[in-house]
Amino acid sequence: MTGRVIVITSGKGGVGKTTTSANIGTALAKSGYKVVLIDTDLGLRNLDLLLGLENRIVYTIVDVIEERCKLKQALVKDKKNPNLQLLAAAQTRDKTAVNAEQLKEICETLKEENDFVLVDCPAGIEQGFQNAVAGASEAIVVTTPEMSAIRDADRIIGLLATKEEITSVKLLLNRVRPSLIKSNEMMSVDDVVGILEIPLVGIIPEDTGIITSTNKGEPIVNDENALAGKAYRNVAQRILGEEIPFLDLDEPKGFMAKLKNAISKLKVKV
Amino acid sequence: MSLFSDLYNTLAKFFRTSDEQIDASKSVATNRLKLVLMQDRTNLTPKILEQMRSELIDLLSRYVELDKDLLDLNFEQEGNQVALMLSIPVIRAKDEDEIEAAIKEHEKAMIAISQQNDENESDENSEIEESNDSSEIINAEEDDSTDPSMDISSKSMKNKDKKEVSAPEEIGNNPFKSDNMDLSEILETSLEN
Ligand SMILES: Nc1ncnc2c1ncn2[C@@H]1O[C@H](COP(=O)(O)OP(=O)(O)OP(=O)(O)O)[C@@H](O)[C@H]1O
Ligand SMILES: [Mg+2]
Repeated sequence: MTGRVIVITSGKGGVGKTTTSANIGTALAKSGYKVVLIDTDLGLRNLDLLLGLENRIVYTIVDVIEERCKLKQALVKDKKNPNLQLLAAAQTRDKTAVNAEQLKEICETLKEENDFVLVDCPAGIEQGFQNAVAGASEAIVVTTPEMSAIRDADRIIGLLATKEEITSVKLLLNRVRPSLIKSNEMMSVDDVVGILEIPLVGIIPEDTGIITSTNKGEPIVNDENALAGKAYRNVAQRILGEEIPFLDLDEPKGFMAKLKNAISKLKVKV
Repeated sequence: MSLFSDLYNTLAKFFRTSDEQIDASKSVATNRLKLVLMQDRTNLTPKILEQMRSELIDLLSRYVELDKDLLDLNFEQEGNQVALMLSIPVIRAKDEDEIEAAIKEHEKAMIAISQQNDENESDENSEIEESNDSSEIINAEEDDSTDPSMDISSKSMKNKDKKEVSAPEEIGNNPFKSDNMDLSEILETSLEN
């Protein structure tokens, strides 16, 4: 088996890389695929928390590299789904403990026995970024519809374009707020895609459920009712090659909504 | 809320949607972003821009007398394109004899430079060559209007012109494009409170 290695990256910090990694990984595993998530954010590990696995980590990626354990020993199985495994980042070691070549080797080994290897990249464009992309052949660039995040995403897209091994770069737009887009206070999906000029793989709405799901250590894809959960399940299906239409984030419900909808359509045409 | 008050509010909202409102923070952000990305994506450092500026002064001075201190070269947003705008206050146009003399002088200078090049192929000379390349970007349009300042803009440097890096095939074509969430639909349907 030769799995796909996908790096989740962004440039700017805090835009949702780790949330995205946890959710896509969980969704793919739920669909029956074997998935390994690698946290490459040395010193600032978080993926274990989002998955609720923080108490199970014995060995980390640095232990693997420094040969204190075998790669298999360092993989922590998810509580619910044994298809999903985590290779945690070291929390104490300095960032120079890992280099790109070593990470590439780990990815090569893992993809032999897994369908997907998802690499959660740290923020920035330094060594941590170079490490995270080293073994990947696909990238998902996460951004929010804010200027600074988009600018950093553009920078990352430029850097990814110089990497020959990376053959696919896709955009995931996170924390979209339809009400702000509607009032022209936030850039729309089309605006962002128009500026960054890479294909879209997902649109994730701002969802307070993400905070509570983080608190519980359970990715929001497991919540059947959450809109962000549905959006992430759709991303997973698109990664699997299905053509899933993008969510209408604000579905009209009753008669009133339809009426308003009709009225606003009139306005749009004027 | 009754149907009519709801309707009224909705309609009132529409009528308040003036042009200024549409031109709200989103388009400011989009435009500023396009501009800054344009600069991020090119290799035009302030130093190179300065070099470009001085070469342009040399070139244009052969034909018109300019106010060199007020010459302004900048990136600007023009519609949905980023343009390199050159604004030059012209003091007066030169007459034919003056232009001819200036061109001759320039040619002499160029010959002197190329002879120097032949003698010693130093790194500095290749630097001069590079800068010649960058000035080719400018498309001088002849403008015989009497306006004291004329604008020369180059449209050849669009957003799309990313650095020298060549993107892999897949970047840029969007298989999901057709499925893209219809934004007007979001706009239309998010009226619910
Ligand atoms: N769609 C969303 N709706 C609401 N909150 C969100 C959403 N996406 C992410 N967040 C919140 O934003 C914060 C940052 O998310 P996350 O840790 O995934 O970002 P990151 O890019 O991995 O950050 P870092 O660069 O520090 O690694 C978290 O508190 C998370 O709960
Ligand atoms: Mg993170």
